[in-house]
Amino acid sequence: MFYLGYVLAELRRRKGRTLFTALGLAVGVGLVVTVSALSKGLDNAQHKVLEPLTGVGTDMSVTRPLKVSGSNFTPGAGPPQLSSKEQNQLRQENGGGRFGLVQAAKPGHSFSTDRFVTATQLSFPESEAARLAHLPGASDAAASLTLNAIHLSGRVPKRTATGGPQFFGSGPGGGADPNGRPAPRALNFNSRQLTGIDESKPSLGLVSPGQVTSGRYLSTSGSKYQALMNVAYARRNSYHVGSTFKLANHTFTVVGLASPPLGGSASDIYVKLTTLQKLSDRKGRANAIQVRAKDSGAVDGLAREIKSSFAGAQVTTAKDLADRVGGSLVDAKNLSGKLGTALEIVGLVAAFLIASLLTLSSVAKRTRELGTLKALGWRQRLVVRQVTAESLAQGVLGGLLGVGLGLAGAAVIGAIGPTLHATVAAAKSAAPGPLALFGQGQVSSGSTTIKLGVPVDVGLVLLALLLAVAGGLIAGTLGGLRAARLRPADALRSVE
Amino acid sequence: MSYELRDVSRRYGDGDTAVVAVDGVTLDIDEGEFVVIAGPSGSGKTTLLQLLGGLDRATSGSVLFEGRDLGTVGDRELAELRLGTLGFIFQQFNLVPTLTARQNVEAALAPRGLPGRERIEAARSLLVSVGLGARAAHLPSQLSGGEQQRVAIARALANEPRVLLADEPTGNLDSATGSELIDLLRRLNAERGLTIVLITHDTEIAASAPRTVRMADGRIVDGATSLRAASL
Repeated sequence: MFYLGYVLAELRRRKGRTLFTALGLAVGVGLVVTVSALSKGLDNAQHKVLEPLTGVGTDMSVTRPLKVSGSNFTPGAGPPQLSSKEQNQLRQENGGGRFGLVQAAKPGHSFSTDRFVTATQLSFPESEAARLAHLPGASDAAASLTLNAIHLSGRVPKRTATGGPQFFGSGPGGGADPNGRPAPRALNFNSRQLTGIDESKPSLGLVSPGQVTSGRYLSTSGSKYQALMNVAYARRNSYHVGSTFKLANHTFTVVGLASPPLGGSASDIYVKLTTLQKLSDRKGRANAIQVRAKDSGAVDGLAREIKSSFAGAQVTTAKDLADRVGGSLVDAKNLSGKLGTALEIVGLVAAFLIASLLTLSSVAKRTRELGTLKALGWRQRLVVRQVTAESLAQGVLGGLLGVGLGLAGAAVIGAIGPTLHATVAAAKSAAPGPLALFGQGQVSSGSTTIKLGVPVDVGLVLLALLLAVAGGLIAGTLGGLRAARLRPADALRSVE
Repeated sequence: MSYELRDVSRRYGDGDTAVVAVDGVTLDIDEGEFVVIAGPSGSGKTTLLQLLGGLDRATSGSVLFEGRDLGTVGDRELAELRLGTLGFIFQQFNLVPTLTARQNVEAALAPRGLPGRERIEAARSLLVSVGLGARAAHLPSQLSGGEQQRVAIARALANEPRVLLADEPTGNLDSATGSELIDLLRRLNAERGLTIVLITHDTEIAASAPRTVRMADGRIVDGATSLRAASL
């Protein structure tokens, strides 16, 4: 008890030294708390961004993209080149490269038609999903079909120079025919992206119940013509839950609005897979499969297995998505990863150094006092223990102050509430340039803004205290060793 | 015999810069003697006292305390000896500045592992015996020089030593306070049979002592033989 009283008396009556040492440790520890909390906040933000594809880190998406020759698309340098085989496959996919107005209506008559096309993905049998679900390492799989619904309406012109009315679906408003003459002005054109999802496997869908912001998810038992709508698309076109819209002469009801997160396949409208297959005349076909691995360790092996057993397949895993995330979020994460760690190390080393130097200086100043204790019969071990205990107490004090400083730092950052921008680039092998206008990559590009949180948990507080105590222990050990080397006679000769 | 010193030397440094603080000293001190070691500054008095207290070791010769050669005793045993048998008083008082008068006395009792209440009572009682019962809770900085030295005496007596080694205890005190202190030490010598070795350059104190050992240039020039030996 006397020794504890001695420690407290030293701390209380040498306030300047105690506070200076404790503050030195506190700054280092506070830095660790703030930077670690910041880093954790960035981790959380990144996790939030990656959540759509990662699930529990075991999801992957399988598509069959068209193969484009040349790695980069240069605007104005002409369209990317498809091999003749790929061109044929795409033509077959879309039922021919163009359609004429002759089939739509007689010249002079009104018409309204919906066409379903794809630009970068080839379809495959839906049964592939069941096959992939049985591969080693796979837990489940669900098929989906994403297409562009092109809606054309207007009046067929009475005659054209080529003997019959024709329309080349090359752009909004009709564009121009091959001879450069303006296309009929009476034509209306719009395009929207649709995805058919397997509503019986909502957790594997390209949109999940968790992303529904209002209304409900597609029901398995309800109408064939129910739809989920992308919040942004609904806002642009003034749709809401309960609205109806026409598609291929059928009336769909909007049952819910969904907000597909960054990195998800953001279509405008989600309908039942079987409904879209029927409307687009692609019965039993799909162009994407979402696969869930049994565990995160099985992801790489399963991806390899799928690639080897599925000709032309592209497998996108959560890691691929993570690699494509950019923006200030990634910059901040990189900064916290490199500079943050360096700051923590420098801060801690400086704190330990300050504490050690101050303790050594204190021992030097107390040479006579420590020598007197030895003259009184204190064993070396007792003197060392006393010096170390004082240092440890300063470490605890520094730790508490440091946690306070760290919490304050985290609170200040939280109060400022910095926002970070994250972007996800489209998959590298998805068709670039004009082909990508249809957004048929299995992971669409996009961006989001996330408010940075700075969480400080109990573990971090304990770590901070532990570091400060370790700092105190290091300083105390050095001071104690110095005190142990003092010979009583030399100590008593010292002039303070 | 309390102390037997035979041809004891203490040299600091080597070669041309070597300083011989104590040079071939032979000295006997009996149990219960009150010995004053006098001499000018730099004569080797303090070094000799440190050798007697086991705070330093002789370069050559032997320092026997109650028959034990302090030159061959280990650090741990020396610490035990200082704790239980020897008491020290210093010119600068050497009190721990952050501890109260009572806690300073406790600092000498703590290594013995006395229970808290017993230790505190013993410290209070010692302070009362030197007339400082009312100043137990004061810090050294709140005490006068004489009071500080009395706290140091209480601390030196805490473990009921058989020998008290005092290094110029009156050096920082006025003459009246110094006289009071010497009287206190004499009483302790007479009443408790304490062996006291006191260093001073105060000629009055030296003149009034039962036995005075005079030193110059590290050597004893007078009084090397104990009174008992001299009377034989």
